[in-house]
Amino acid sequence: MGPFELRTLKGLDLSGCTDIMGYEALDFYDVDSLLTDEELMIRDAVRGWVDESVIPKIENACREGVFLDEWRQEIGSMGILGAPLKGYGCPGLSYTAYGVICRELERGDSGIRSFASVQGSLAMYPIWDFGSEDQKEKYLPRMATGELIGCFGLTEPDYGSNPGDMVTKATEDGDSFILNGAKMWITNGTIADLAIVWAKLDGVIRGFIVEKGDPGFSAPEMKGKHSLKASVTSELVFQDCRIPKDRILPGVKGLRGPFSCLNNARFGISWGAIGSAQACYDSARSYALSRIQFDHPIAAYQLVQNKLAWMLREITKGQLLAYHLGKKKDAGEWIPEHISLAKMNNVDIALEIARVSRDIHGANGILDEYPVMRHMANLESVKTYEGTHDIHNLILGRHITGIQAFTKGA
Amino acid sequence: MKVAVLIKQVPDTTAKVGIISGSVDEGAISKWSISPYDEYALESALSLQSGSGATVVAITLGPERSSKSLIDAAAVGADELLHVVHDGALGSLSLQKALSEAVTRVGAEVVLVGKQAADTNSGSTGPGVAKILNYSCVGLVSRIEAGSDGFEATRSTPSGIERVSVKLPCVFAFDKGDVELRRPNVRGIMMAKKKPIERITLADLGVDSTGEGVSTTSVDYPPEKPEGQRFEGPDSAAEVATKLREEANVI
Repeated sequence: MGPFELRTLKGLDLSGCTDIMGYEALDFYDVDSLLTDEELMIRDAVRGWVDESVIPKIENACREGVFLDEWRQEIGSMGILGAPLKGYGCPGLSYTAYGVICRELERGDSGIRSFASVQGSLAMYPIWDFGSEDQKEKYLPRMATGELIGCFGLTEPDYGSNPGDMVTKATEDGDSFILNGAKMWITNGTIADLAIVWAKLDGVIRGFIVEKGDPGFSAPEMKGKHSLKASVTSELVFQDCRIPKDRILPGVKGLRGPFSCLNNARFGISWGAIGSAQACYDSARSYALSRIQFDHPIAAYQLVQNKLAWMLREITKGQLLAYHLGKKKDAGEWIPEHISLAKMNNVDIALEIARVSRDIHGANGILDEYPVMRHMANLESVKTYEGTHDIHNLILGRHITGIQAFTKGA
Repeated sequence: MKVAVLIKQVPDTTAKVGIISGSVDEGAISKWSISPYDEYALESALSLQSGSGATVVAITLGPERSSKSLIDAAAVGADELLHVVHDGALGSLSLQKALSEAVTRVGAEVVLVGKQAADTNSGSTGPGVAKILNYSCVGLVSRIEAGSDGFEATRSTPSGIERVSVKLPCVFAFDKGDVELRRPNVRGIMMAKKKPIERITLADLGVDSTGEGVSTTSVDYPPEKPEGQRFEGPDSAAEVATKLREEANVI
C-alpha cells in the first residue's frame, strides 16, 4: 500500500509519514551533522554501495551460505579497508570515519562488516603496528585493495574468553618456525591469503604470519551456522606447519598484541551494531505504517508506538555513544574500558531492537523478505565475538572496583 | 581536448519536497544531489578522460550549496571545477547565456549535459547552450565515443537505436544510459577536498539577468489521487475488464 492510500485511510491524517519506502537512516539528534564533509561523502558512498550491491543480494547469499567475491573486490576498490591506518597504501582516515564505514556496512549485514573488521582491524592492523618494514611493504598495499585477504587466529576450541591459556605452540627449527595447534571461529579463514596467528613461543604469546599454502596449514570452513551466514567462518589447523623465520611479528610480545587488534575491531562493532539497529528500526517503522489490523495501521496503536519510541531512544543514545567514542579515539584519549562499554551497550540494544522489530513484523518477521530476523541472528554472534557481553561487564567491573573477577583465584 | 559537463544540483530523488507560499520550500529539503541525467553526462565525460585523455571541467550554476555537486564530481575524477555562484531564481535564457559564457571561458568544444534537470524538467539547457554557442546539438544520447573526426553518439529510444556521427564543436544532452555510474572511492574523496573551485558571478561573465521572458507564477501540489475502486467476486470480471480497457487503457 502506497502513501496516498494511507493518507485517506479511515480519516486518519498520516500526511507526515509520506516516505514509507526505501531506507531512511534514523538520525533523530542529527548526530551525523557533526561529521566532516569527507566523512559524510564516505558515508554516502558506502551507503549507496550497500543499497545497490548488498541489499539485493544478501538474502540469497545467506541462503547459500556464501560471501560473494564481488563484495571483496568492490569493498577493496572503494578504498575503505584498514580505514584508520596511514601509509603503505592504506586510507589514513579518522577512527570516526572507520566507525561510519562499519555502521553503513552493517546496516547491510553484520557479515559484510565482519569481513571489513577482520581485514582492517585484525589482520592489517597488527602488521601495520607490530610488523617489520618488509612485512608492511609486502602485505599492506595489497590488503588495502582487497587483493589479499587476511584473517586472525586467536580463539581456540577450548580457549575463548581466556586466550592467555592458548595451547597453539611455535618452536624454532633452524631458519623456520614450526606451528602446532588449532584455532576456531575464524572469520574469512577459508578465503584468506594470510592468517595472523597468535601462538606461544617459549611460553610467550607471539604473532605469526601464515600464508595460504604453507605446508601443514589448512583452513576448513565451519558449516551449519544460523548466524552470519554470508560470512566465511573457519577452523585453522596447524600440523607441523613450517613457516620462515621472518614471518614472526617482531614488534609485540604477550596478550597486548591481540588485545590491541581487538580494541580497534570492537570500536568498529560499537558503530556497526547501530547500523543493524537502524535497519531493524527502519523496517519496523515502515511495516507498522503499512500493516493494517483492526482497520488501522498497527503504527496507530499505543503498544507499537511504545516499541518504536523505545527503539528511537536507544538508537539515539547508541549513536551519541559511538560518535563520542570516535572523537576520543581520534584524540588518543581513550582507555579500553571506553570501548568495552560502547561495544557491549550498542550490540545489546541492537539485538534487543532486532527482536522487538521482529515482533512488530509479526509472522512476516521470520521471512527473509524482511531483514530483521537475519540481523537478529547475526547479532547473536556479534554479542559473543570480540569479547562476550559478559566479559565486557567484567572488564568494567574490574575498572570500577579494582578487583578482577575473570578467574576464581587460586 | 576539454570537455565541459554542466551539472545542476537538485533535491535528491528521495527528499521530500514541500511548497511554501507558492514556491518550493528549499530550506526544508534534506538532501541535494547531482541531477541524475547530469550524472550520466559526467560518467561519459570521465570515460572520455580515461579513454582519450580529455580534461573534464565540471560547471555548475547555483547558490553556495551547489559547490557540493562539484566536489562530488571531483571525487569521481573531474579535473577542474567552475562554480557560477547565483542565489535565487534565474530564467532559462539567462541560465543558458551564463553557462555558454562559462563554456567559452574554460575553452571547451564539447559540452555534456543531462537531457533535463530532475527538478524543473524543462530540458532547455542543452539545446539553449548549443544555440547560443552555435554548436551542434544531439539529444537523448545514451553513449558517446571519440572517433577520428569527432564523436559517435548512440541515441536509444523505445522505437530503436540510432547512431550518429558528430563533428566538433558540439553539445550532447544525455538520457539515462546503460553505463554503470562510477562510485567515489576514499582516495577520490580525499583528493576532491584539495581541488580548488573557481568561483565567479553572472557579472563576471557579463550576463544580465533582467528582462527574462519566462518566470514561474506559482507551484502547487499535484491533485490528490482519487480513491481506488474495489471489485469483489468472479462476477465482476467482465466489469473489471471493461474498465481496464476503456478507463485505464491498459489492455
